[in-house]
Amino acid sequence: MENLFNLFVRSIFIDNMIFAYFLGMCSFLAVSKTVKTSVGLGIAVTFVLLVTAPVNWLIDTYLLKAGALVWLSPDFADLDLSYLSFMIFIAVIAAIVQLVEMVVEKFSPSLYNALGIFLPLIAVNCAILGVALFVQEREYHTIAEVTVYAGGSGIGWLLAIASLAAIREKISYSNIPKPLRGLGISFIITGLMAIAFMSFMGIKI
Amino acid sequence: MSEKLKKVEKEPMFSSKVLKLLKNPFNLENPITVQVLGICSALAVTVQMKPAIVMALSVTIVTAFSNLIISSLRNTIPSRIRIIVQLVVVAALVIIVDQILKAYVYDVSKKLSVFVGLIITNCILMGRLEAYAMGNKPWPSFVDGFGNGLGYGLILVIVAFFRESLGSGKILGAKIIPQFMYDIGYMDNGLMILPPMALITIGIIIWVQRSKTPELQEK
Amino acid sequence: MQHSNKYILGYSIIMVVIVAVSLTIIAVQLKPRQDENIRIEKMQNILSSVNIAVAEIPKNEIGTLYKKYIVSAVAVNNKGEDKITDPAQVFKIELVNELKKPGEEQMLPVFIAKLDNGDTAYVLPLRGKGLWGPVWGYISLKGDFNTVYGVMFDHKGETPGLGAEIGQDFFVNPFKGKTIFGKDGKFTSIQIIKGGAADDNPHGVDAISGGTITSKGVEKMIFDNLGSYQAYLQSHKNH
Repeated sequence: MENLFNLFVRSIFIDNMIFAYFLGMCSFLAVSKTVKTSVGLGIAVTFVLLVTAPVNWLIDTYLLKAGALVWLSPDFADLDLSYLSFMIFIAVIAAIVQLVEMVVEKFSPSLYNALGIFLPLIAVNCAILGVALFVQEREYHTIAEVTVYAGGSGIGWLLAIASLAAIREKISYSNIPKPLRGLGISFIITGLMAIAFMSFMGIKI
Repeated sequence: MSEKLKKVEKEPMFSSKVLKLLKNPFNLENPITVQVLGICSALAVTVQMKPAIVMALSVTIVTAFSNLIISSLRNTIPSRIRIIVQLVVVAALVIIVDQILKAYVYDVSKKLSVFVGLIITNCILMGRLEAYAMGNKPWPSFVDGFGNGLGYGLILVIVAFFRESLGSGKILGAKIIPQFMYDIGYMDNGLMILPPMALITIGIIIWVQRSKTPELQEK
Repeated sequence: MQHSNKYILGYSIIMVVIVAVSLTIIAVQLKPRQDENIRIEKMQNILSSVNIAVAEIPKNEIGTLYKKYIVSAVAVNNKGEDKITDPAQVFKIELVNELKKPGEEQMLPVFIAKLDNGDTAYVLPLRGKGLWGPVWGYISLKGDFNTVYGVMFDHKGETPGLGAEIGQDFFVNPFKGKTIFGKDGKFTSIQIIKGGAADDNPHGVDAISGGTITSKGVEKMIFDNLGSYQAYLQSHKNH
C-alpha cells in the first residue's frame, strides 16, 4: 500500500512524463494555449492511460514475454515474442482509443462533447505508448502497480499541460524579444518549470 | 496534431526540386524548430552525443523508408484504414531498427531504452506521411523523409553537443576540457545533464535561428 | 478513393501476414547475435566484480578471459547445499527468476574465480530495486567468505548524476576490503551510510549524496541476496 502511494506521488511529480521524459510534448505545445482545452486533453489522456496501460501489461505478461505462454503449454517456455511488443502496443492503443470514443459517445454525450475532439489525437500521443514501454522496461509486477503508475503519469501530464497553459495565457501580455515569441519562449518556460519540479526529487513518503 | 498538419500543408515551399527537399529541413522547414514535430521521443537521449547520433540515424532511416513504402503503396491503400496501415508500416520498421541495434550496437541500444520504440509515435513520421508521402512519388518522398530525418537529427546532435560538452566536459566520450582547467577551479555544469536543460537549449536554438531568419518569427 | 469492404479486409490480411512473416524472419536471424551480446555482458559483469578492467578489453576476447579466470561454478539452495555443479548450466541461471521461487527451491549461483595471485574469489549475483527500477550487480568475496574482494553494480534508469552513479569507481571502490560478518560471527552485510561512513567502520561505505533511495536500494539488495546465501557462506567460512 505504502509502495503504491509512493509510486503514485513519484509518477506525478518526479517521474513527470513531460518534465522528465518530454513525452507528449507535441500535443502539449500545440494545445496548451488555453487552460480549458488543456484540462480537457489532460483528462482524456489520463483516462486512456488508465485503460491501455493495464491491458498492455496483461498482454505483455501473458502473451509476449519470454516464456509468457507457459500457461498454454510447457513447450512454449523458450518462446519469446517480445520483438512484437511495439506493434501490439500501438495497435492496442489505437483500438482502445477508438473503443473509448464509441463508448463515451453512446453513454455520456456530455463527456463526449468535452473530450471527443481530443480522443483521436491521443492514439499518437507519445505519453501513452511511453507509459506502456516504461511499464515493460521497469518490470512492474502487479496490475495494481501498473494502474497506479498509469494514473499518476496521466495526472502529472494534466498538471504540467494545465500549468503551462496558464502561464502562456498570461505571457501573451508580456514584451518578449521577437525571435523568441511563441515556440521559443514555450520551450524555455517548460524548461524552467521542469527545474522547479526537480525540487520534488528524492521525496519518499 | 491536426492543427500542425494543416500548417505543414499550407507551406508553399514544396518545389519539385529534390535538392530543395533535402535542404529545407535544415533551416526553413526544420521539423523541430519550425514544424514543431517529434520533440517527444528524442530529447531524453541528448545527454550524450553517441546515443543522440544513433537516435538521429534511426529516425532518419525510419522516416525515409516509411515515406518510400507508403508512397509506393499510396494508390492501393484504402482511405478508411489509412492511419492503421501507416502505423503498421512505421511500427514494423521501428521493430527492425530496434532488433538491429540490439544485435550490433548493444551498449547504445541499452542507453536508448524505450526511446527507440517511441519513434513510432514521433509526430514527424505521421506528419510527413500524411503531408507528403500520401500525395507524391516514391523517390521525392524518400528524399523528403531523409531530409526531415536529418534536419531532426541535426537539432538532436546540437543539443547533445552542448549538454555533453558543458555537462560532463566530454565529446563522444573523450575529454575536451584539459585537466589544468579543473585544477584552477573549473567545474562541469551538472545541471546540463538534467532534463530541463534540453528544453532550454532548444529554446535558445530557436531564438538564434529566428533572429537570423526573421520570416520565421511569430507575431 | 472508395474501396469495398472485401478489398479492405483482404488488404489488411495481406499486410498483416507480410509484416508478421518479415518481422519474425528478422527477429529469428538476429536473435543469436543479441543473445551473444547479453552473454558477453554477463561475463563482463562477473569479471569486473573481481576487479578486472573489462572496459578496455575487446568484446571478442571476453570469452577467453572468462574461461581463464572463472574456473568453476555451482548453484546452491538456501541451506547451502550444492544443487547444480555444471558451470555451463549455472551460467544460464537468471537470478531474477530464481528470486520469484520459494526459498528452498531457489538455485543460487556461485562463480569461483582463480585470480592472478593464486587466490580464490567467490562471485555472488545480486538483484534488487533502486529508485525507479531494478538494480543488479555482483559481489565477490575472498576465500575467507567474509572480506569483500570487489563489486559491480548496474541499473536501469536511475537518475543521471545521482542514483546512476552506483556503477562509478568512487562508489564501488570503498566496498573492497569491507567485511560482511561482525567479529562475533554475526551476519552484518554492508551498510551504505548517508553523510559518509567512519574510516574505521568495517561494514560501512559512503552513500551517494542526492542518491539516497538508490543507495538504500543497493544496501537492501546486498542484505537480502547475501542473506539467501547465509547458510552457504557460514558453512564454508567455518572450514
